[in-house]
Amino acid sequence: MKDQWTDRLSEYLDGELAGSERTALEAHLASCGNCRATLEELRRVVGRARALDDRLPTADLWPGIAEHIGVVSLAARRARRRLSFTVPQLAAASVALALVSGGAVWLLGGRTHAPTATAVTELGRRPAPLINASAYPTDPRYAAQVAALERALQRGRSQLDTATVRIIEKNLKIIDRAIRDAQSALVADPGSAYLNLHLAQEMRRKLELLREAANLAGARS
Amino acid sequence: MLTTLATLATFALAQQTDTTVPVRTGARLEVSNFGGEIAVKTWSRNAVRVVADHSSRDRILVDALDQVVRVKAEGGRRGPSQVDYVITVPAWMALSLSGVYTDIKVDGAQNEVRAETVQGEVSVVGGSGNVSLKSVQGSVTLEKARGRIDLNTVNEEIRATDISGDIAVETVNGDITLTQIESANTEANTVNGDVSYDGTIKDGGRYRFTTHDGDLRVSVPEKASVTVTVSTFDGDFSACFPVQLSRKSKHRFDLTIGAGSARVELESFNGDIHLCRPGQVMKPEGDHNHEH
Repeated sequence: MKDQWTDRLSEYLDGELAGSERTALEAHLASCGNCRATLEELRRVVGRARALDDRLPTADLWPGIAEHIGVVSLAARRARRRLSFTVPQLAAASVALALVSGGAVWLLGGRTHAPTATAVTELGRRPAPLINASAYPTDPRYAAQVAALERALQRGRSQLDTATVRIIEKNLKIIDRAIRDAQSALVADPGSAYLNLHLAQEMRRKLELLREAANLAGARS
Repeated sequence: MLTTLATLATFALAQQTDTTVPVRTGARLEVSNFGGEIAVKTWSRNAVRVVADHSSRDRILVDALDQVVRVKAEGGRRGPSQVDYVITVPAWMALSLSGVYTDIKVDGAQNEVRAETVQGEVSVVGGSGNVSLKSVQGSVTLEKARGRIDLNTVNEEIRATDISGDIAVETVNGDITLTQIESANTEANTVNGDVSYDGTIKDGGRYRFTTHDGDLRVSVPEKASVTVTVSTFDGDFSACFPVQLSRKSKHRFDLTIGAGSARVELESFNGDIHLCRPGQVMKPEGDHNHEH
């Protein structure tokens, strides 16, 4: 469900609303659970984006991510004065951030080659007009990142105890099932904020587990 | 005969190292182990005592510097080995403990605790400041800690009792049980498991509990001021006190108690969501609906 204030939440978070609008929005937030939930999610996404700065000081990832998810620069936003922002886009943004941060952490954690930042930045800059998180499991970027981590895990597989490999594979299947469930549910209700964010969360979780497993395998090789 | 020889060989190879080193206030302990156990307990002396049971082919290294005491085993060309440590430290000492096939136990810590293992259980009593406990295949248990709490495993349950502070808890395949919690900021999520929360709901606080396949049971004190958002795709909602629901969309609805200043988000894709009063949310021991 969307109301007139949903599209203004990003401006609110950035402190760009005029005093009267800010007061009106805050009054609206007091009575609108959906807007509060969306604002919380937006804060989380922004928090994740900020956390990336510390991890990749040599590359400014945000322009690529912003371009990818359709968010324009601060200057352009100020010029336009409105950020068109939907919950599905927010969910997609959260996956995009996980995609970049997961890849960055994995690459930086185990390997210190210079191409790291470049590769991640190029991934982030590839234009892909996604409008909904449900598109992500089949998105080439997501698939490529998952495949890369799976290859890394495969390479280091012999370094891991077979029981550990079994456990990781079992849990990846559990997450995959949750992703499929959420995708199926979204077919019937593509605009659902809950389903979009749930799917994004599970996709993020899959990347994080793969990254952790790849790190584990890499650490022993 | 073979059994006897094997027993004698094992006996001959077993060795114990017992070392005590003085430490300055503010020093931290770092222990890394491959297989076995790390058990840490506390005393009032400004000293670290390391008792290690290990193979005679291993050497236990205790490196006591100004700011850190490092403990590890050196196994030579054979590589990593199995060591059971019992380490006694001053209660004020910060702890950094890591292992691979290692169980980690801590009792009485009063400072930061970081514990990570791959296959093994992590069980900590005490801790303050940053408390971060992590396993891949093993349960994680924390009691009597305060500060920024981060508990993580993949394939087992997580239990936290008598905790205050900011709490983040995550597993993939296991239940999460949080009891006697005093927090204004708690997030707990799993994919295949139940989540139970019995603790405070503070004014202005933020709480988020999510699962995919499992039930949520969350306590809300009678005088709480909270807005609860409930989201489920294929589950039911119930409360053991009267509530007024306000549907926001097909899969989401709100309810407000008091002025609604705190925010609680409850999400279960396939499971049921249940609100109750403190002390009423925990399911009976052994009542597990999920196969982990």
